Amino acid sequence: MLLSLNWLRDYLAKSDLKIDPKDLADKLTMRGIHVAAIKRPAFSLENVVVGRIEKIDKHPNADRLQVTQVIIKTGQGVEPIQIVCGAKNIAEGDIVPIALPGSILPGDFEIKRSTIRGVESFGMICSGKELGISEDSEGILQLPKHSGIGQPLTSLLGGGNNDTILEFELTPNRADCQSVLGLAREIAPVLKTKLREQKPTKFKITPHRTSSIIKVEVEDPNVCPRYVARVIDGLKVQESPDWIKQRLESIGIRPINNIVDVTNFVMFEYGQPLHAFDLRKIQSGTIKVASCKTPTDFKLLTGESVGLEPGDILIQDGDRPIAVAGIMGGENSQIAADTTSIVLESAAFAPHQIRKTSKRLALHTESSKRFEKGFDLATVAAASERAAALLRDSMNANVYHPPIDTNEFGAKEAVISIDMRDVRKITGLKEISAEKASELLDSIDIPSHKKSVNILSVRFPTHRQDLKGNVDLIEEVARLEGYDAIPEHLPTSLATYDRLDESAFDFEFKAKSLCASMGLRETIHYSFVSDTVLRNYGFANEGMVSLKNPLSDEMKVLRTSLIPSLIQTYAYNLNRKVQHQRLFELAKTFVWDEKEETKVKETAFLAGLISGNLSGSNWKDKPTALDFYHVKGLVENLVRQLTSVRLAFEAPKNTTLYHPNRGAMIKLGLKEVGSLGEVHPVIRDNLLETSEPVLVFELNLEALRKYERSTTRYKIPSKFPAIELDLAFVVDKSVSCHSVLENMKHSGSELLTDVTVFDIYEGESIGPSKKSMAFHLTFQSTERTLQDSEIQDLKNRILANLKDKHGAELRA
Amino acid sequence: MIEQINQLRAEAHSQIFSAPDPEALDRLRVHYIGKKGVLTGLLHQLKDLTPEKRREMGAVLNEVKTNLEQDLKQRQTELKRIVLDKEISGASPLDVTLPGSYAINAGSLHPVTRVMNDVVQILKRIGFSVVTGPEIELEFYNFEALNTPEDHPARDMQDTFYINPPVLLRSHTSPVQIRTMKENRPPIQVIAPGKVYRSDYDLTHTPMFHQIEGLMVDEHLSLADLKGVLNYLIKNLFGTRSLRFRPSFFPFTEPSAEVDMQCIQCKGSGKDCRLCKSTGWLEIGGCGMVHPNVFKSVGYDPDRYSGFAFGMGIERIAMLKYGIDDLRSFFENDIRMLEQF
Repeated sequence: MLLSLNWLRDYLAKSDLKIDPKDLADKLTMRGIHVAAIKRPAFSLENVVVGRIEKIDKHPNADRLQVTQVIIKTGQGVEPIQIVCGAKNIAEGDIVPIALPGSILPGDFEIKRSTIRGVESFGMICSGKELGISEDSEGILQLPKHSGIGQPLTSLLGGGNNDTILEFELTPNRADCQSVLGLAREIAPVLKTKLREQKPTKFKITPHRTSSIIKVEVEDPNVCPRYVARVIDGLKVQESPDWIKQRLESIGIRPINNIVDVTNFVMFEYGQPLHAFDLRKIQSGTIKVASCKTPTDFKLLTGESVGLEPGDILIQDGDRPIAVAGIMGGENSQIAADTTSIVLESAAFAPHQIRKTSKRLALHTESSKRFEKGFDLATVAAASERAAALLRDSMNANVYHPPIDTNEFGAKEAVISIDMRDVRKITGLKEISAEKASELLDSIDIPSHKKSVNILSVRFPTHRQDLKGNVDLIEEVARLEGYDAIPEHLPTSLATYDRLDESAFDFEFKAKSLCASMGLRETIHYSFVSDTVLRNYGFANEGMVSLKNPLSDEMKVLRTSLIPSLIQTYAYNLNRKVQHQRLFELAKTFVWDEKEETKVKETAFLAGLISGNLSGSNWKDKPTALDFYHVKGLVENLVRQLTSVRLAFEAPKNTTLYHPNRGAMIKLGLKEVGSLGEVHPVIRDNLLETSEPVLVFELNLEALRKYERSTTRYKIPSKFPAIELDLAFVVDKSVSCHSVLENMKHSGSELLTDVTVFDIYEGESIGPSKKSMAFHLTFQSTERTLQDSEIQDLKNRILANLKDKHGAELRA
Repeated sequence: MIEQINQLRAEAHSQIFSAPDPEALDRLRVHYIGKKGVLTGLLHQLKDLTPEKRREMGAVLNEVKTNLEQDLKQRQTELKRIVLDKEISGASPLDVTLPGSYAINAGSLHPVTRVMNDVVQILKRIGFSVVTGPEIELEFYNFEALNTPEDHPARDMQDTFYINPPVLLRSHTSPVQIRTMKENRPPIQVIAPGKVYRSDYDLTHTPMFHQIEGLMVDEHLSLADLKGVLNYLIKNLFGTRSLRFRPSFFPFTEPSAEVDMQCIQCKGSGKDCRLCKSTGWLEIGGCGMVHPNVFKSVGYDPDRYSGFAFGMGIERIAMLKYGIDDLRSFFENDIRMLEQF
């Protein structure tokens, strides 16, 4: 919403007030009427004066330029000033606008003294466009011959010259402020003045009744609670009076003709959109307000065709649509050059339907913007009167009176009582009295009277449709008194509840911090991807959840895994020559689940990707390419720090994503809690420009959180000496480390406190299908010093069981 | 005998201090004070003397023994030092400016995570607890319970992604307020951090971003308490700077306010400042007193309880805190950006 301060003055009791726009804007903003910008209108022209061209010479160094001598003062012995000019339409003796050095023209263009191709120039002779006062850029603006030399140009342009435009960003509840009058109501108390008393317009009752010319039928008063139709004839389509044109132009509205301009003028003035139909074109003689029943094409007055759909509110001539109600009129009924009589519509339409239709049609007009936010039934009639009066008075038109008015509900003013103790409790304004509140409300035309010390009876004016209850008044009082007046206090409370959620946040933050400390960089991706991406990596499944209204196909499906995003980011950075990458993300994945309230199950996952060398590019250490065991070690470290559980690793499920021999499913007991491994060479080859292995992992963090490390129990270290033993034996290659370890632990009983594998060897000396595994065993008792014979027995048992189960042969 | 002892003492002293290595020193120790050493031999000879003489000479010999032990110890220290000096001089000087190499280089946390955690930690200090809620929500929690019925204009303020009505991607963290209030009774003091989604994608909007929401409900809370909490938060996050509370509109709070912070670039002067568009102020969040209709939707008595809520965009705070000027860069995951945090 734009407001011209000069236009505003028309509604203030003291119209010649000095207004400091910045100060006014700040004060309004702090009252909740947010001024987003202060703009100079196109024709705020300081330092631009009227001058006469005395002499024109050719520019010595430029064919297209001329050197002029211009006088900007009258009287004896006045020296002309020299200005270089490129325009062709000038002659000696012309009276023209001169922008002197220091002038700032529209577009923040400052005029300075300059030298143009070697000739000094002390200003600029301006075109209408350069001054922002006309569209004509063809040549210099020619001023009337009798204009006084030296006087400011603004004095020639009438009243609208020193204007300032305020641009408002209104909150959706303040429909009333979408008008000059509504803003004036808020502004008057800020400027310590009042609204100017509006004289009621009087119309003579015409002998011809309006209803003898047209009828109005409203199909559903809930959709159109009031429709005022006036017939006006004796019109002649022509340009509007200057003052109306100026007002409209000041806020960037292009004048069209006197009829359309009046409807626009009153819309900005009252906030009530109006529409004028050419009476000739209403053939049935009946204006019908009805909802669209079947999809129809309709040609707007802009010439553009739109598709109407059931529900859209239409203005019909009988059964033929002539306007999309509250949004835009049709070509078939618009004002033409030869229009002499009109039907002037002022009405109220259901805001949510206007919003729906204008959104669907992508038609956001000044009219629809206002209707979307609501209407004031009283203003529907007042605006109609105002427009009719303007047409009558400026064009001597004939206004049929009274108009047709379907006012079904009437404008009601609710009265409520407000308790000042509630005001004080909610606002923290401990001292505010009923008198003060009444005074504040009164300043913006909300009448009230005090019923007792703490009780105020308040009447809601019809223009404030947003006011419905006590809390609305509390807010009004608070904002009018100013939030700055509210003291500041740090509250304390004794709130306690189940902190399970808190531990989730902390657990996740800990997981992220651990990843970062292990060299991974955190990434954050959108939760939605294309289904192709999920499919490429083997994550597309029937559980995939799609958006109904995605922004694009690239953001259509909720992620079922975080890994595809990490691989994409890896590729993005690889393209930017980052070789050694370590990435992670902690986010939710989504799948259909009937058991959930929303039918979607969301689960927090932690995923990571590593590729390149273990120590990056490093001058000192020998490069070690990252491989499966690195990513596994990473996951094991993470889980060890986060939880008190041991994970198990099995062959992977997703063999689209993982190298068939270098991937693993991660299990916690019987539950699958993630996967890890090397990205399948086919994917790497298709999608990534690298030949290095790319390692990824993904962990169900929610499953792991149940075993958070805080549940750890302390064990007292044994006071008795440990006995250590190394064993190496040969087994078939297919024998897994895990099974050997389990076997040893079983045989070794609780005295075998630790086993670690320290060497794996494959080679011809032990046979092609064999491998040698070397283990370091630690035996210790918490109760006594172990005897050598005990260890020997344990060793024998371990070896016997290994041989029995895995065919393991002790290496010499 | 005294003379003999003195001579021995002098001889031993000079031998000890010229011993070239620990082995030679050990031989001297054995030679002089070992079990079959010279000094021990002399002690054995004492038995032939008169008791008086024996006592006198015994004291002398013991003193010599102590002296020699001290000498040996001192020489031992000297020799150790010689060995260490050799080790030190053997190592050529390093170029200390070469980069260090630990097994892994530190990674980094995303700026959104950092700021989110900062905000959470600050608010925890004044008694807030963290609650979280689902990212996939029902219209009831996202809108209706928040005093935003279907034809409310505010539903247009935030274009919402839908799975299938009434299931949607939450457009703000406020549904967590409702869930928390439904599951608990006042007093309530919580913060809800998380991802939110809106169908908007341009220079200043991304379809996903992060918010943190605060809610406090008790019997005597007012706008004054809300101002206190937000001032505490901003002071701890950005240092002392003034805030202004500007009346605004949200369906779920009334009175409502936008919170503006004095511009961190122009310090509020507004002079030629692109960051604050010369207003001197930066919008950092919205807040207000919980609307009575919201209390009613969760079964709280609005006459008994009052409360306030506030929300802010984490990316916005991060942009101001770190001087990031493009919102979209948060989700591009360019390592050149990530490695700066």
